[in-house]
Amino acid sequence: MAGGLTYTAVDSTALSTAEYYGKALCELGEQHPEVVALTADLGKSTKIGMFGEKFPDRFFNVGIAEQNMFGIAAGMAKAGLVPFLSTFSVFASLRSADQLHTDICYQNVNAKIIATHSGTSFGQAGSTHHAICDMAVCRSIPNLTVICPADGMETVNAVRAAYDNFGPYYIRINRGFDRVLYPNTDYGFEVGKAVQLHEGTDITVIACGSCAFQALQAANFLDSADGLKVRVLNMHTIKPIDREAILKAVMDTRRIITVEDHTVIGGLGSAVAEVIVESGKGCAFKQLGIQDKFAPIGLHEDIMSILGIDSNGIIDAVREVMGKDFELDDDWDDEV
Amino acid sequence: MIVLATKEDILTNKIFLNAALPLVKVIANDVPSLAKKFEHTHAVIQISALDPEAPAGKVATHFVINAGEWLVHTDRVTKNPHIELEFKSIEAMNAFFKGKIAPSTLPKMRGIAKKTETFVSFMKVLLKMSALLGAKKAPEDEETKKLLVKCFFYLLSSGISQLNKNGHEAIHDWAKKSPDRVYAWAVDGYPEVSAYLRIKAGKSRAGRGEYKRAMPFFTLRFNNLDSALGILLSTDDMLEATKAGRLIMDGAPEFGAQVGEYMLTVAALAQG
Repeated sequence: MAGGLTYTAVDSTALSTAEYYGKALCELGEQHPEVVALTADLGKSTKIGMFGEKFPDRFFNVGIAEQNMFGIAAGMAKAGLVPFLSTFSVFASLRSADQLHTDICYQNVNAKIIATHSGTSFGQAGSTHHAICDMAVCRSIPNLTVICPADGMETVNAVRAAYDNFGPYYIRINRGFDRVLYPNTDYGFEVGKAVQLHEGTDITVIACGSCAFQALQAANFLDSADGLKVRVLNMHTIKPIDREAILKAVMDTRRIITVEDHTVIGGLGSAVAEVIVESGKGCAFKQLGIQDKFAPIGLHEDIMSILGIDSNGIIDAVREVMGKDFELDDDWDDEV
Repeated sequence: MIVLATKEDILTNKIFLNAALPLVKVIANDVPSLAKKFEHTHAVIQISALDPEAPAGKVATHFVINAGEWLVHTDRVTKNPHIELEFKSIEAMNAFFKGKIAPSTLPKMRGIAKKTETFVSFMKVLLKMSALLGAKKAPEDEETKKLLVKCFFYLLSSGISQLNKNGHEAIHDWAKKSPDRVYAWAVDGYPEVSAYLRIKAGKSRAGRGEYKRAMPFFTLRFNNLDSALGILLSTDDMLEATKAGRLIMDGAPEFGAQVGEYMLTVAALAQG
């Protein structure tokens, strides 16, 4: 496990999520000479450039050639290096999908893709730059671990975990600042294990990325306004998914809502639904996310609101699902 | 002169008819010496109270016993029971079951001559129930402790449900506002004594055993039978018991307080 830097809540007011990534990568670079970094002319935007400034001999800008970057990274990994490569999520998952699939994942090399500007966080850049299906693509490629951290501190944990564990990783982080969920990195992050943010037995909201903070806000509001007890799970790892936490939520609350800044087809909601259906257990279920359409252009916060994946959207969805029956038994005679 | 029953009398009566009297079956089944007495019994026994406002002129709960198998029909009158204990009013029935036994509260007894043995056995069950629910301190042996805790859990869950169904203002208001939720009573290591209350948008159902469809929204859990009896018999303090870990509130404490209040409502009506 890498260590050294201590991040605090004060840092999080000053750093974007990608900057946390940049700092964590520099930390790894100091400790592990085999760590190298690659960019496709987006060193500044993705913050991998911080590594380049510190370790210019281990930093490679391949130009606007994402597919080549993936091929080069695969070769470096084969040679024993640990390449971290960064570009926008939409390019990492779609433009370079063939190289990700064949060069990186088929060969199961030790390369780490840190994809920035994920979901709709690149709001005003337009729908072409929104990464709304990257988790669906990446989740379906064998050998690839997929993580969607909730904030800066979790990004640090995810980057450290990616180094600590062999094999290809895809970590999707947002552009800009995420609301702070964790004041530091010491909350028990473990790849493949959800983190419970709020206890409840009425309903469970399973969220990833910046939606986790929104879900927690919604849970706190619903507790005070409606007296509803909402369990919130931060499902940071999309693959391998935490089956145990999902099934416990099904058995305990029988009502599940998933929230993601991503299409509802193939992402977190689908992964959760697969676990539920395979278990044969019934529950009321609703997916919040992008409903098979392109997202509008605008500020990230506004887009989240329009898509219903902000705290208000989650509050509405919880109220709706609370009205649904999960229990088929409609016998109201007291047992005697 | 006909005196109409008050709302409180009616609610109290519903608790006796629909929550307390069904415990007869539990006791008759769980106490081996009593169970044996009904092994070959075939009888219908009714406990009723005259009520000019009831469609049948009376309210009743009756038991159908067939070779030790008991069926309980709450709040339902049967016309031709083999044995009937008929009170002259619901006030008289309430007073009798609260222990205020006087000539004016005694029931008329019918069918005793033809089914004397069954009547005697049934009265033994009723007396056992009265002794159990009137206990001031915990029994000595574990089987009786279990039975007493079970009876209290059943009585409280059914009692709250009955008060909801029969329009107790505060409880029905609480149930009306509730989503589908389950409140449970449990003792660690004794799942057989568990009871629960499911409520949803004004409807309620008291159930027996553990609710397994989902995690109960709130569980009043005791670490052992003695701890449960401490609270149920009011020989222990709820706050002290919680602090010491004898009572565990699984769920939001504000909802525990609500259920606690409604448990006391049932107890107050049943005990007078």
